[in-house]
Amino acid sequence: MFRLRVCTRLAAQLPRAALVNQIFQREIKRSVRPVLIELTKRKRMQKNPISQPRNKWIDWNRDAELYAFNQRLSEKFKTDLLEQAFTHRSYIIQEEDERKKVGLESQLQLVDNQELIDEGKQIASLVVENYLNEVLPLAPRECILALKNYLLAEGNLAKTSSGIGTKDLILTAEYPVSEETLMNTFYALVSALNRSVDLEHVGKFIRDIVISTLAEKDLIEIWCPEDPMEILNDILDREGRAYAESRIIGQTGVNTLIPVYNIAVYSNKEFLGSGMGDSIEEAEKMAALNALLRMFDLLDSSKPISCNLPIRDAECNSSLESWKRSDKV
Amino acid sequence: MSIVRRSQQWGTFARMWHVFDATWQDPYQSSQIIAKYLLGRHKPISHPMNRCGDHVVVINSSEIALRGDEWQMRVYFHHDTYHGGASWTKAWELHKKDPTMIMKKAVYRALGNNLTRHQAYARLHVFLDDKIPLEIQQNLSSQIKQLRPVPQRLDQISPEELENFPQIVKLPETYVLT
Amino acid sequence: MVFQTVALMTRARGPDEFWRKRRIFRLSSHFRGRFRNCYSMAIRAVHRSLQFATKGRDAKYDIIRQIWMNRIDSAAMEHGLTYKAVKEGLTRSEIHLNHKSLADLAVWEPRTFKSLVNIAHERVKQDGLRIMGYLKAPARVLSKGK
Repeated sequence: MFRLRVCTRLAAQLPRAALVNQIFQREIKRSVRPVLIELTKRKRMQKNPISQPRNKWIDWNRDAELYAFNQRLSEKFKTDLLEQAFTHRSYIIQEEDERKKVGLESQLQLVDNQELIDEGKQIASLVVENYLNEVLPLAPRECILALKNYLLAEGNLAKTSSGIGTKDLILTAEYPVSEETLMNTFYALVSALNRSVDLEHVGKFIRDIVISTLAEKDLIEIWCPEDPMEILNDILDREGRAYAESRIIGQTGVNTLIPVYNIAVYSNKEFLGSGMGDSIEEAEKMAALNALLRMFDLLDSSKPISCNLPIRDAECNSSLESWKRSDKV
Repeated sequence: MSIVRRSQQWGTFARMWHVFDATWQDPYQSSQIIAKYLLGRHKPISHPMNRCGDHVVVINSSEIALRGDEWQMRVYFHHDTYHGGASWTKAWELHKKDPTMIMKKAVYRALGNNLTRHQAYARLHVFLDDKIPLEIQQNLSSQIKQLRPVPQRLDQISPEELENFPQIVKLPETYVLT
Repeated sequence: MVFQTVALMTRARGPDEFWRKRRIFRLSSHFRGRFRNCYSMAIRAVHRSLQFATKGRDAKYDIIRQIWMNRIDSAAMEHGLTYKAVKEGLTRSEIHLNHKSLADLAVWEPRTFKSLVNIAHERVKQDGLRIMGYLKAPARVLSKGK
């Protein structure tokens, strides 16, 4: 109280500007910390946090976003087709229900994308298989199909789809958008592009956005032949060569916990491939696999998948049952 | 990781077993080379945080050769921590007691002073002659080149070869070779 | 401006020291014991650690350079040449690759590295240097524009 009284007396004497200057500081104010603590506490207490989709915000400009989507990808989608590709059936049903509740009788002028999805599925499957046949001419058909299934799997396509920025543009009843919806939207976009431009352009679109992701993948992780020795012997038999013979070409630490065997397979003294392993069986399997991958041109050291080939019809690769080296070389 | 990558990794980080013949070799110079193998410094993938050291089996450690008068002059110090417990052992004495000891100590010193030393030292196997247990012999896969070629001694050459060796001067029968 | 309350006339307590301390605690978050959470101890430890970090920035580069040189040496030894011979041969052939690139090639592209070693070997042999390795010079290597 005494201090306060002194202060008031001082205040009467001193010019006010001097006191005011002492208050201003270029730092965070004392009030900020308690406010932030309180806000964080309340945020933590909240049981169901409200998350608003971006397209429900008041400054969301859908037309501008659709235009930007087109420009960002440097594509020539027709606006009405693009609008249709993003509109799912569930959204239209939801909107009509809400209109009925309000009492509006007029019908919505929206078309859903079911038709586009079905068409897009066929196009994408066709394009991917064709391109893989073109780019991996020596790989067996099983490998091509496995790669295609991997590329067109739900998770992969959903990731691609949200990567090109469809997540906020999709009109659907569910929130957050499910992977299936994202995938279907991608198919619808493919079909919309087909109707807007032409099939060759769609091929390039899929090649650049979907297939190019294979370039950084280990293909053997996606497809690996079971029992490579048997397959190798079948192929050698078909080509009229001697059966594969495996030889230990190196081994070390045989009596330790970490032995290493290096085994090579030969056909009539001709080297086919070699592999390492922690047991003789394992190393033999790896050697046979190495020989197979050498034939199929899928080794680490072989040329990576090129992503700039033109889109054209390629003939179907032969399956493992009928694969022969003389077919392609 | 695909099985191909796994197999490649297994081969890359294979722990090799080398053999080194210490016959007529200087233990202090050869220990520099052996230490390099034990720590994995001879591989392009080597890194201090990378476990890529190999095993080295040293044979014939009783046949080592020390330079000059080192057998007499080199002294190994030991202290048993009691008062007056210091002892100095000459190299020839130590070699007489344990023919593997000089080689082991040389390598231990060459490994450098850090935490990897004990693990690397555990990968060293020293034998005084060329009789290795079968279990270790089967592990071997490589040989380290000797520093110097082992010279042939006069008593190892057969009398016939000596007889047929071309002579520059024909010495008289009465001439006595000392 | 009119002040209607005397509360504003009390001594200004300055900025909130909480934020200044937060900056220090962020740097001391991985320390042990009271050096992590007690300010007067934390600030001393942080100053000390920043000094070490300053020194370590140079020391780190030295260690990395050592590793590169060792990798080049060991890869060259696989082809019978020493680090010194490879560097000398490449410099004389005007192949100015730095340590980092050479070490990367040695680990990830051994065949490229082998061809570089061959070039260096041929050059060293042509110039009659004594740092030659044991191997014979490889066939079909052009090193002096022949």
